[in-house]
Amino acid sequence: MTAVIETEGLGKQYRGRWALAGCTLSIPAGHVVGLVGPNGAGKTTLLNLATGELAPSAGTIEVLGNRPAAGPAQLARVGYLAQDAPLYAGLPVADHLRLGAHLNPGWDAGMARRRIERLDLDLRQKAGTLSGGQRAQLALTLATAKRPELLILDEPVASLDPLARREFLQDLMETVGEDQVSVVLSSHLISDLERACDYVIVLVDSRVRVAGPVDELLATHHLLSGPRRDPASLPAGLQVISASHTDRQSTLLVRTSGPVLDPAWAVSEVGLEDLVLAYMRQAARPAPRNDHRHLEVRK
Amino acid sequence: MIWLTWRQFRAQAITAAAVMAVFAIVLAATASDLSGMYNSSGLLTCHGDACSGLASTFLSNLASNGGGFVIPGSPYAILYFLSVLVILIAPAITGVFWGAPLIARELETGTFRLTWNQSITRTRWLTVKLTLIGVAAMAVTEAFSLIQAWWAAPIGKAVGLGGGSSIFSEGRFGWFVFPTHGITPLGYAAFGFALGVTTGLVIRRAIPAMAVTLAIFAAVQFITPLWIRPNLFPTSQTVTTIAAAGANVSLRVNPKLAVTASVVPGQPGAWIISSDGVNAAGQPVSTIPAACEPVISGTLGSHSGSAAGPGSAAVNNCVASHGIRVAESYQPASHYWPLQWSETGMFLALALTLAGYCFWRLNRRT
Repeated sequence: MTAVIETEGLGKQYRGRWALAGCTLSIPAGHVVGLVGPNGAGKTTLLNLATGELAPSAGTIEVLGNRPAAGPAQLARVGYLAQDAPLYAGLPVADHLRLGAHLNPGWDAGMARRRIERLDLDLRQKAGTLSGGQRAQLALTLATAKRPELLILDEPVASLDPLARREFLQDLMETVGEDQVSVVLSSHLISDLERACDYVIVLVDSRVRVAGPVDELLATHHLLSGPRRDPASLPAGLQVISASHTDRQSTLLVRTSGPVLDPAWAVSEVGLEDLVLAYMRQAARPAPRNDHRHLEVRK
Repeated sequence: MIWLTWRQFRAQAITAAAVMAVFAIVLAATASDLSGMYNSSGLLTCHGDACSGLASTFLSNLASNGGGFVIPGSPYAILYFLSVLVILIAPAITGVFWGAPLIARELETGTFRLTWNQSITRTRWLTVKLTLIGVAAMAVTEAFSLIQAWWAAPIGKAVGLGGGSSIFSEGRFGWFVFPTHGITPLGYAAFGFALGVTTGLVIRRAIPAMAVTLAIFAAVQFITPLWIRPNLFPTSQTVTTIAAAGANVSLRVNPKLAVTASVVPGQPGAWIISSDGVNAAGQPVSTIPAACEPVISGTLGSHSGSAAGPGSAAVNNCVASHGIRVAESYQPASHYWPLQWSETGMFLALALTLAGYCFWRLNRRT
């Protein structure tokens, strides 16, 4: 499995504050990868490092095996839809397509035109007067018609209303379904990812909490409820992600490769949202960590 | 990239072309009348000393009435100063409106994330933008300058023929004339534009960057003739009599003697940078000779002790008779082009330095 983004001890410091520190991760190719985490987890910083907008203060990052934004060829391989879908407000839709055509040797004019037709955008309309959803769609057209190998989207739906959000993600799925493009998209809205992604990475405080294909994660995580007992007494091979207790009952989210056989537990499926939230909550709990430097800089 | 640069620059280019058209039409419409006045002034056929008188007459006519025009006042004086003013502020305008928003607007609106993620490096993006718009700024400013120089040629010739003191007779080294004629407009335009781009990149906000650009550029335009231009080339020195220097003695509180020369003997068209009173031994003199005090009191009347304006012939003669001469420091007329090249080169070098900084800063990625 090749990696589209690979980082090793990656860090970025702004005016003495670490926005991202000691981040080591590997994002596999051929997936629609959802990068989730709370605000301030370093998602945007990570993506800005991946697009080469920023240079690392520490560690390394490779995108498709190269230094980000190393040259025109590398830029051509990565499509980027930045947060809030920046467009030139004064330029009409047609000029944005011309911009794409002029600045990208691999520009697929036919694809861009088909997309704009399907979205029913008026070519003469200025980008500044488009709705949020239309802006995002136009920006996505620019990012995909250059025919990238990797498409990076930073909070693409955060500013959209629920309907536009659904349409955008649907459209994204159709677009990337047609070609073999890898996608990395960040969001703090987990429900969106459930719809779009087949691979999830939970990033909290620069750190990967859990990563894997969505079906695999859902298959190996279970919600157990039963009479109250000490989690430590569970059999080996069960990893407790979160636990809540009442006087008589315990509810545990566990990770296990095999089935849970203990008849004392009622086993139920867990949704992706609950799963992700459990990992985020786990990170928020004060727990002993190896990397103390990391704790200090976050404060 | 050339297409995008043009597309984003189109509106400004059209504005500049419109201003240029108005400028050219107004000057072209009045040029024939102006040269007609010159042709009928007798300056074409005059010889020797007669010329300076005719030139003075021509220029004062020009300053006081409008020739064939019925506009009150002198349209020529107004046109002359307005046109010079346009050339003087053109580099500031292009720096403020073309330079400052160039990067700042992209940063402000986030569109840099759109453009810098196309298959084009930032270096190439900036190279094309700086080159095309920078050359446009230089071309516009220089075109204003050439059109104005063509229009004002009769005035220039009359000043050259010795058309003494009128509102037009600021020489080629004048504060407003030197930086608006020859090749200096190219240097100022390049510098103003690069300054705007750089402040935009540093401040990252278009409006504050525009204000800062204007302030810095105005300061540079003020500082250059005062402290930089006189020293771009070694000055020449001469000591001569007060009369030969066309000098006036005046009195100030401290120092008490000031000598202001108006010509350098044998050096027509020289730019006088400083003139000081010196004694026979060549030492600077800062006080008026005691014997001249009564003469001074006579001319000053009740205002003695305070500052005095240009001295009378009596004061000049009295001071001269006590052996006080004038030491002049000047740039000879032959230094005009070397100074033009030096000043233009200096500003072009500054512009390139600023551009280099922009490239470095843009690729630093912080």
